[in-house]
Amino acid sequence: MRLPIVLHIFRKDLVETLRDRRTVVMAFVVPALIYPLLFTLLGSVASDKRGELERTRVRVAAWGPVPSSALRAVEQQGRAEIVDRREQPPANPESEARALVSSKKVHVVLLTPSGASGASIPIRVLSDSTDVDSDAMERRVSRALTDHDAELLRQRMTALGQDAAAAKPLDVHEEDLADAARRGASLAATLLPYLLLVLVATSGFYAALDLTAGEKERGTLQTLLTAPVRSVEIVAGKYLAVLALTLAATVCNLGSIALTLSRATAAIDRAARFSLGLSSAAAIFFTVLPAALLIVAILMAVGVLARSYREGQSYLMPILILVILAGFASFLPGAELTAGTSLIPLLNVTLLVHDLLVGKAGPTQVMVVWAVSLAWAVLGIVLTARVFQTEQVLLSGEKPWRDVLAPGSRTGRGLTPGNALAFAAVLLVVNFYGSVLFERRGGVAAMILGTQLGLMLLPSLLWCRAFKAPLRETLQLRWPSGRGWLGTVLLAAGGWSVGALVWSQLLRFPGARAYTDWLGELLGKQGQLGLGAALLLVALVPAVVEEVTFRGVVLAGLRRSGSRWIAIGGSALIFGLFHINPYHVVAATVVGLLLGWVALESGSIVPSILIHLVNNGAQVLLDRVPDIAQRLNSPVTAAVALAITAAGAWLVRGSRRPAPETAEPVPVSLDGVS
Amino acid sequence: MIEARALSKRYGEVVAASDVSFTVARGEVVGLLGPNGAGKTTVLRMLAGVLTPTAGDLRIAGHGTEGEAFELKRALGFLTGDTALYQRLTPREVLRYFGRLHEIPEDALSARIETLVSRFRLGEFADRPCGKLSAGQKQRTNIARAFVHDPPALILDEPTTALDVVTGRFLLEAFREARAAGKAILFSTHVLGDAEALCDRVVLLHRGRVLDQGSVAEICARAGARTLTDAFLARVGDEVAA
Repeated sequence: MRLPIVLHIFRKDLVETLRDRRTVVMAFVVPALIYPLLFTLLGSVASDKRGELERTRVRVAAWGPVPSSALRAVEQQGRAEIVDRREQPPANPESEARALVSSKKVHVVLLTPSGASGASIPIRVLSDSTDVDSDAMERRVSRALTDHDAELLRQRMTALGQDAAAAKPLDVHEEDLADAARRGASLAATLLPYLLLVLVATSGFYAALDLTAGEKERGTLQTLLTAPVRSVEIVAGKYLAVLALTLAATVCNLGSIALTLSRATAAIDRAARFSLGLSSAAAIFFTVLPAALLIVAILMAVGVLARSYREGQSYLMPILILVILAGFASFLPGAELTAGTSLIPLLNVTLLVHDLLVGKAGPTQVMVVWAVSLAWAVLGIVLTARVFQTEQVLLSGEKPWRDVLAPGSRTGRGLTPGNALAFAAVLLVVNFYGSVLFERRGGVAAMILGTQLGLMLLPSLLWCRAFKAPLRETLQLRWPSGRGWLGTVLLAAGGWSVGALVWSQLLRFPGARAYTDWLGELLGKQGQLGLGAALLLVALVPAVVEEVTFRGVVLAGLRRSGSRWIAIGGSALIFGLFHINPYHVVAATVVGLLLGWVALESGSIVPSILIHLVNNGAQVLLDRVPDIAQRLNSPVTAAVALAITAAGAWLVRGSRRPAPETAEPVPVSLDGVS
Repeated sequence: MIEARALSKRYGEVVAASDVSFTVARGEVVGLLGPNGAGKTTVLRMLAGVLTPTAGDLRIAGHGTEGEAFELKRALGFLTGDTALYQRLTPREVLRYFGRLHEIPEDALSARIETLVSRFRLGEFADRPCGKLSAGQKQRTNIARAFVHDPPALILDEPTTALDVVTGRFLLEAFREARAAGKAILFSTHVLGDAEALCDRVVLLHRGRVLDQGSVAEICARAGARTLTDAFLARVGDEVAA
């Protein structure tokens, strides 16, 4: 993939899109105007209504022998006027009261049955909760009656020579612990996630449609295909253009919403105050980003299947509805970001933004949602690329879904970069779901064995088989050279202490200690697992399985990009993302860079397995010897470890045995995925 | 320069092109003629590297599609009659965009654009959005776009369709100049008069197959007709009757 070509396509598509008034108006102008107008209008209406209700005297009907003292209390404390007084209640008081309220003649009806007498006089307060005025006035009248009731009780107790407090064993006062800022954040947490998600989808909607179905309809896509440009470059350029527009619109709209909410919150809830700081806005933007990646990928993949702009609109409408439904989760009471919901694309982003606003989410939740969303987004992008490679779709607009999705026509060509990304995305999603299930059913050992063997090793082997990738070459199943062996031993000896040093530095950051404590507990520090079992489950099994997966299948696919650094960096990042926690992601990515480089330089998977084994084994031992980490954390140890590692790297560099290379570099392509 | 060897294209049971072979030499204009649905566009798209042939082989300036798709596309200028241009870009921007996709250095590209603007008389509207241009202005922009990388071979798919006489004649003159400059031109058209006026040889295509090919005189002689139109109707009529 040639970056300059991608940028030319990106720039042209962005310029062309920004010159489309409809797109600009829908993405920037309408939302920027609608939110202030909507919230200002709502706030103003709510405020006006509240004032009007406060100023209005309650019109009350009193039927039957309602005590006159109660009516006086209602008139004085509840600022009411009795507009309908009857000695005898009507035969059907409910229906007549409903008619009076409905015709706005009265707000509330007080009803005491004929003949009521004694120490306790029943008073029914009839109102219509569906009528805003009646509902509000009922609360005012009831409050006046409750206060009058308390006063009567006090008078009676005094008359009996008793302390009035004796009749009130519990003196209950309600107090809200949430301050104005938290109330405001809570209110914003209900609205903002929904608005953001819908915003992302609507911002990208017209641009995606214009650059896919629109281009097909105008016939310009064919012209573009006659230029020396790869379909993946077209996809990347267009994708980046839609994404840039979507994100720009999201930032503008986020600002607009935040400003509007800061003014409108008090109008909705007088005790609430909301202001979105720069850091919170950045955190929300960072959280919405993967949702944007995914939504744009889906919009483009579906948009290009349409033959015309109009047809594209009908195809994309269900996608928009799905996004709206996912956004609706923020309105649902009890909807929480759990292990399960964090795996559902878009819904997880809604819940995470909600939790971030109310201060409930931490870095781990952010990473999980990011990793899951990214995995789905990669699948979406791969699907888009596949659609773009289906000539019938591009030229005639036919919809051979079978051709786009079926594996048959594209298998047998070995692994490619797109194929490797799709594999990683599928594996990431499967592992998240699977590990939760294994953990619930069988504990730590079952989770590690189940995920490693069932959700990583098996899919890796099946993937190779499905794409007819020869195992020996793909996984580099060969012994290293003598020099490679020696370098491996030194790298294993020095590398694990470098890994430990990286960890010791990471522990300076807040939250890292809590994570390692949790990890330590998980790995059997508390005696759940013996040393042998811990070494087997935490060191040996992952060393073999993860190397087969990441330095085998993933690296083999990425190698065909023709760039070793894309292969090493990409496989390391994917390896890191599988570790979810931000600190672990950083540490694992660093280790992944070393392991990927070693695998390519040595031409064998064995050195990376050994280094991985020693690294993980050392972590297990470090957990059981509390002081060793401190002892290692000295300049001398660091220098020695680095020297050993450097010597090992020097030996491993270029130690590959001369062997026929079958994985020829081919241009970066997202094809070959099914 | 342009070679089609037994090209075939199938969509499931539908045969769009079958065993189509012909060549276009340097400095030659070959007309690809046929009624609607004859498979002309399919053949042209295969030659342009947009469609993958189901069978057969093709070469443009010696480059095939296998592993040489870029070289093939760099050697080719492709023009269609539907004047597909980016409506919100100006002709100058369209030329710059395609020049960049062909990886022409910026300095050389600027000079090339000015040459094309002058040669195809785009100056009057070169900075106006394509969406606001007339059909003739669009097609002049489009042909400039096809020439931006100065390709040795041109594939023109009904380039004069729906154009007025003046613009049509202007384009035909431009194609003659290109032939004189040694370019190989494959020219598909419905307008048999254009084909007679411009083409050195013609290929008659019907139902995805080549019915006949040769110079206009040879085809007329074989069909026993005086004009290309009569020869065309005779051959296609024979096929329909058969």
